[in-house]
Amino acid sequence: MSKQKPYPEYRRKLGPGWWLSNSHFTQYMIREWTSFFVAVFSLIYIYELSLFATGQKGSALALMKNPGIITFNIVALAFTLYHAFTWFYLIGKVQPIKMGKTKSKPWQALMLNIVLLVILSYTVIWILVLRSG
Amino acid sequence: MPRVARLHAILWGVFSMGGFIAAFLLPVLIYLVGIAYPLGLWPMANTDPTSAILNHHHLGTLFLFVTVAGSLYHGIFRFQSTLTELGLARAKRALEAIGYLIIIVGILAVAYYLLRLNPSVLSLP
Repeated sequence: MSKQKPYPEYRRKLGPGWWLSNSHFTQYMIREWTSFFVAVFSLIYIYELSLFATGQKGSALALMKNPGIITFNIVALAFTLYHAFTWFYLIGKVQPIKMGKTKSKPWQALMLNIVLLVILSYTVIWILVLRSG
Repeated sequence: MPRVARLHAILWGVFSMGGFIAAFLLPVLIYLVGIAYPLGLWPMANTDPTSAILNHHHLGTLFLFVTVAGSLYHGIFRFQSTLTELGLARAKRALEAIGYLIIIVGILAVAYYLLRLNPSVLSLP
């Protein structure tokens, strides 16, 4: 059975630069571009793991010390934190917690999750790095 | 629920999980591997972080797998969706195919290399 629509569908055509017309759209697009850094860092690290696994540890460590890679990693960390903070804020907006007659605010979810991020990051460092030192 | 819709829901669920992983676990990995070690910052003064993490065998291996695989899935899934919003909507199917190919090959590669680095993880009860 064919699905014929009873009315013509209108789709607004957007050019590639639609996200520059409004600051909210620009923020949205910056947030979406954080995924590029998340993906590329993951791929670079998989390549480093492949060097470790194939006995080329020296090459892997040299790659980590490459100035271009270090610069990329600093930018990637900034974008990943931007992704994290906006994600935390969105959680507070989408799923506010009811406390009696009041609801939690998005900035409260942001602050709580930043504290959780710091605790979790320190726990990872403590368990996986400091205890082995 | 139709099978395609169910699959779609599962893929978006995994994507959401990857978002949490990228938000909570990826920053510390980028800092340790990509910044602290090459610049000699705390806590990576003398040792490389990948070896230090893998010294913890199962826990370190699990941390690396979850963080890298989850972040890769989330990053690629969202990036191919971003490209369709930037004027490549006509290539949506091709972008999805390339994206899923990178995700599958990437996750299999992480699993394979971590197993080579820590084969004893398979002997877990």
